[in-house]
Amino acid sequence: MRRQLRSRRAPAFPYGYRHRLDDQDEVNQNYLADEEEEAEEEAQVMVVPNLVEEDEEEKEEEKEEKKEEEESQDQPAGNAWWWKLKIMSEYLWDPERRMFLARTGQSWSLILVIYFFFYASLAAVITLCMYTLFLTISPYMPTFTERMKPPGVMIRPFAHSLNFNFNVSEPDTWQHYVISLNGFLQGYNDSLQEEMNVDCPPGQYFIQDGDEDEDKKACQFKRSFLKNCSGLEDPTFGYSTGQPCILLKMNRIVGFRPELGDPVKVSCKVQRGDENDIRSINYYPESASFDLRYYPYYGKLTHVNYTSPLVAMHFTDVVKNQAVPVQCQLKGRGNINDVINDRFMGRVIFTLNIET
Amino acid sequence: MEFGAKKETVAPLEQLPRPEPKRRPKSSKLRKAKWKQKDLEELKKEVVMDDHKLTLEELSAKYAVDLTKGHSPRKAEELLIRDGPNILTPPPTTPKWVKFCKQLFGGFSLLLWTGAILCFVAFGIQSYFYDDFTKDNLYLGFVLSIVVVITGCFSYYQEAKSAKIMESFKNMVPQQALVIRSGERIQINVQNVVLGDLVEVRGGDRIPADLRIISAQGCKVDNSSLTGESEPQFRSPDFSHENPLESRNICFFSTNCVEGTARGVVIATGDSTVMGRIASLTSGLKVGRTPIAVEIEHFIHLITMVAVFLGIIFFGLSFALGYGWLEAVIFLIGIIVANVPEGLLATVTVCLTLTAKRMAWKNCLVKNLEAVETLGSTSAICSDKTGTLTQNRMTVAHLWFDKTVHEVDTSEDQTGKTFAKDSDTWLILAHIAGLCNRADFKAHQETLPIAKRITTGDASESALLKFVEQSYSSVAEMRERSPKVAEIPFNSTNKYQVSIHLLENSAQPYVLMMKGAPERILEFCSTFLLNGQEHPMDDEMKEAFQNAYLKLGGLGERVLGFCFLNLPSSFNKGFPFNTDEINFPMDSLCFVGLISMIDPPRAAVPDAVNKCRSAGIKVIMVTGDHPITAKAIAKGVGIISEGIEPAEDIAAQLKNPVSTVNTRAAKAIVVHGSELKNINSQQLDQILQNHTEIVFARTSPQQKLLIVEGCQRLGAIVAVTGDGVNDSPALKKADIGIAMGITGSDVSKQAADMILLDDNFASIVTGVEEGRLIFDNLKKSIAYTLTSNIPEITPFLMFIILGIPLPLGTITILCIDLGTDMIPAISLAYESPESDIMKRLPRNPKMDKLVNNRLIGIAYGQIGMIQAVAGFFTYFVILAENGFRPVDLLGIRLKWDNRFVNDLEDSYGQQWTYEQRKVVEFTCHTAFFVSIVLVQWADLISCKTRRNSVFQQGMKNKVLIFGIVEETLLAAFLSYTPGMDRALRTYPLKIAWWFCVTPYSILIFVYDEIRKLIIRQRPGGWLERETYY
Repeated sequence: MRRQLRSRRAPAFPYGYRHRLDDQDEVNQNYLADEEEEAEEEAQVMVVPNLVEEDEEEKEEEKEEKKEEEESQDQPAGNAWWWKLKIMSEYLWDPERRMFLARTGQSWSLILVIYFFFYASLAAVITLCMYTLFLTISPYMPTFTERMKPPGVMIRPFAHSLNFNFNVSEPDTWQHYVISLNGFLQGYNDSLQEEMNVDCPPGQYFIQDGDEDEDKKACQFKRSFLKNCSGLEDPTFGYSTGQPCILLKMNRIVGFRPELGDPVKVSCKVQRGDENDIRSINYYPESASFDLRYYPYYGKLTHVNYTSPLVAMHFTDVVKNQAVPVQCQLKGRGNINDVINDRFMGRVIFTLNIET
Repeated sequence: MEFGAKKETVAPLEQLPRPEPKRRPKSSKLRKAKWKQKDLEELKKEVVMDDHKLTLEELSAKYAVDLTKGHSPRKAEELLIRDGPNILTPPPTTPKWVKFCKQLFGGFSLLLWTGAILCFVAFGIQSYFYDDFTKDNLYLGFVLSIVVVITGCFSYYQEAKSAKIMESFKNMVPQQALVIRSGERIQINVQNVVLGDLVEVRGGDRIPADLRIISAQGCKVDNSSLTGESEPQFRSPDFSHENPLESRNICFFSTNCVEGTARGVVIATGDSTVMGRIASLTSGLKVGRTPIAVEIEHFIHLITMVAVFLGIIFFGLSFALGYGWLEAVIFLIGIIVANVPEGLLATVTVCLTLTAKRMAWKNCLVKNLEAVETLGSTSAICSDKTGTLTQNRMTVAHLWFDKTVHEVDTSEDQTGKTFAKDSDTWLILAHIAGLCNRADFKAHQETLPIAKRITTGDASESALLKFVEQSYSSVAEMRERSPKVAEIPFNSTNKYQVSIHLLENSAQPYVLMMKGAPERILEFCSTFLLNGQEHPMDDEMKEAFQNAYLKLGGLGERVLGFCFLNLPSSFNKGFPFNTDEINFPMDSLCFVGLISMIDPPRAAVPDAVNKCRSAGIKVIMVTGDHPITAKAIAKGVGIISEGIEPAEDIAAQLKNPVSTVNTRAAKAIVVHGSELKNINSQQLDQILQNHTEIVFARTSPQQKLLIVEGCQRLGAIVAVTGDGVNDSPALKKADIGIAMGITGSDVSKQAADMILLDDNFASIVTGVEEGRLIFDNLKKSIAYTLTSNIPEITPFLMFIILGIPLPLGTITILCIDLGTDMIPAISLAYESPESDIMKRLPRNPKMDKLVNNRLIGIAYGQIGMIQAVAGFFTYFVILAENGFRPVDLLGIRLKWDNRFVNDLEDSYGQQWTYEQRKVVEFTCHTAFFVSIVLVQWADLISCKTRRNSVFQQGMKNKVLIFGIVEETLLAAFLSYTPGMDRALRTYPLKIAWWFCVTPYSILIFVYDEIRKLIIRQRPGGWLERETYY
């Protein structure tokens, strides 16, 4: 039995005759102690001339030898899987040497401590780097803004889709637009605006010199500017009559000024298909533009109460019961509004599908 | 010997597996396989036959053939139909598409295929469950497949190229045989020879089948390719030995008849010949995997473990973070795929190919790409003697005249010292050697060096001829001046050869010259020559002669004696000499000297053996030749080192049986094949373990195989060198079989993995060196390539955990793995060794793995982490400068990746459209990619060495410098080329962003230098144990 164990174990030994030679003495001693007859036989290997005389003996012994060999060969083949499993489990936990994953507790703690220090120093390095980074970055003014110019455009109400499908006679289909708009316009309530912001002169930039970290004032943009689309007169923003209001706003960019003092205008039309599908649009404010006084923006840290200007589009006469793709573009010098990749840069596209 | 023979040969002939193809094939496949297995076992046993013991009558009866008339043509035809043609079944060639598929689906490719399939699965899930999905997984899957296919094609092409060179070796000339059928001698194709055919062979013929000789005249055959004996063997009808391989009356298929003629009966044809059995044994052997294949599998296991481990951890984490099932599965697949090093397969293949090219340039042709490394891992070389260690050409090695032994230069190019040529005795000796000699140069070879010229005749005579031509004068002129008038040719009973020559201008016109077995020659002599003077023979001289004879014989050399007699003047010119009824005196001759010959070792061999030794490789000689010759050559080339006595010699000196010699006291041992027969495998293991210098002599092909298997059992990686058919089973079984390109037989070349085109054993040393170097360099290459895996995976992990915008995309990962990392990784294959790789022990395949935990630890746990941090720093710099501070990024993922959110607010209150922020994100990808390229600079320089400092190693590797430049230019190209924003979504970077990673590059370099410094200063210390890969 011991012999079987050893022969099966052999492959797990540190390989090689050279390595074995080192252990030779030990192994050999075991070997000799275990099977003396066999050891004798081994000695005979060199006694080839004598073999002839010991013919009979040799033959018998050889038979035994073969039997044993067969046994020891069969065993591991049958239990190969079991054997593999055992090696695996021994790798996971070796109770003899108290090793987990081929490491003792001490070795584990040592390597973990070393790695802890390694990662701690790495963390220190990155902290230092980040600290340096923040030294170079102003909290008021982003280092680069060219990636966001020209500004993007977004509309309200927004409900995860740019398709406005609703049935005039079924309030359930448009009620959420109304709620969304109402919510959005809370910040534009006249009372709030008057309380928080100043009424600055229209038609010119509202430039506030002074230190970067000084708090800036914001211009009023009252809800009432939106007239019929303010939800004040018609709390359903026209949805109940099939004349929906859609609000358009331009993305904020710190320091952005529309080129050369021309306010940015909004203009909507049918994107593709019959132009007469939209027979009339009312814009509020009537200029259909974002007044210059709302620019520049100084960033959220100092320009706390800044209110983005809006332009409301009142689609008063749109073909019903069919999807009408609408494209609203920002018009003005320096505005790019036809980038194919970005459908929200300087323009916005949505569909109206009003059922009656 | 007797014992073994008794045991083996009792087996009746009927048990011989004599394949009769017509009856066999109707069995089922399973039974066929079983039969094959049994057959192989059968083939591994020694040859059993008894035809050599039969009398001619019995032979005639057995094969139903008339020994004078032969078969009738009709019977021959019948037999031909029954037994099939007399050809060796070619080894089953693998169809080309199977080979190609092996390249496509073997080893490393499997990992990539798995990755590709996972990608497609992920894509399938995404496209089925989500409306809005990226096609990244689809592309990745395709790229992975394409990489595997291209690499597969590449390595297939490489191997096909070596296969083509192999094809060119094939000898396509059809052989003819002279058979006697119905009393007529007819010339037929060898393949039509049938059992029982009466065959005639002449000098220069190739034996057409296994023959039992029934009559012979001075027939000699060269069995070297079958038995390894370097000397031609006599053949006669007599039964001389129990062992058919040694019996004189058997000639073997495909050996050569050197001289004389013989007639014999065919006793075996085709695959059942001795040669055929060896060939089919060879082709039936299963070959183990190459060490590098084992290493790569281990590597795949490690990588897979890491990948699955990471995947499952983050699978769990993503659940904990509230992701849904599908997302978690996609993440799991994503993480597993991200761990696949896409470029590594190609890198490893190219590295191996480069080494194979370099080796081919040094005349080592590697048939199988993976075998390139095997020589480097080799820990034992079993070398054949004849033709491998020796030149397989008898050459004069020693002279003995004037009571002194003179040494002759035996090297191939004749650069060595010369001996005293001024003695008169030498002149006479040279004359006898030149004149009493039947060998001659073939015509039109004047331009060739003498040693290379082809001669006709016996090997010893050719040796003498060349020797005289080289060190005295033209033999042709000599023969012209002293024409031969009579001759008694050499035969095995006389053991001498006599010729009588006419002398010009002499009182005694005739001189009788004699050469032969020294003891026979001495019997004829009554005087001897000393410095040209004749002295009467005395006891002192006889003793000197005995000593010299013993000494030269003990060197394993074949000794010939020379003497002459000036015939008295009574023999006038024109005297009719009769050699049948001798009418001239043949006694009281004058003894001149001895010449001994040996098949000398090749010049480069001793040095090569020595180098192998110092490289820790055990060199074992396994030869079919006699122990004395084997021992002499072993001593000559250093396989048995100087001053070390083999066990038997010690025993002989002590006058004790060998068994009493302490096995460990005797480092060297010479084992005879007959001993080997009676040894079981454990005893063989004992021999292999206990002795460092081993010579196996008189071994059969089967025993060679056993020896190789024994070494392999002990865990050694075995290289076998050989040229003969008898070596081919061992060549096939070995981890790497090395055949000789010029002298090697086709069978051996087919079986080998590597071919030495110049037959130079020293090329093996080159092979070992290259193999070890490529193993080391592959480690470096893999360490380098794996490192960038961490900065490639961590972005995705952080994307999942922290919900930040993805810092590095699939395309940029592919740009690194298949673009920028490629050439630098390959350039590491050109790295020069750090120390003398031939001074260290061969690697231990159990412990010293190509990729181990330590390499993974360094690459993933340390350098990779620094790189990842570097990449993230750049990423944060870019986002922060564009308005997104790191803190605000946490958890922004869902909104960030939502196409419909086009007014995402940043840290400054600015609002971003989807496309605008994606451009920033892709700029980050580009920057992260560039960062990895730049930190990989430092990693590449660190990976140049594993122990030495870079300052010790130097930057001499031009390819590496090119690699650095190339990867940087490629990165810049990808970033700045107009149109790349649409093609690969890489964007131009601001110059400053390139420099964000500088501190980290420096950190990597300094960290690794310090690590290596400590490893050097504290060998065996903790750091070495934990981080030296």
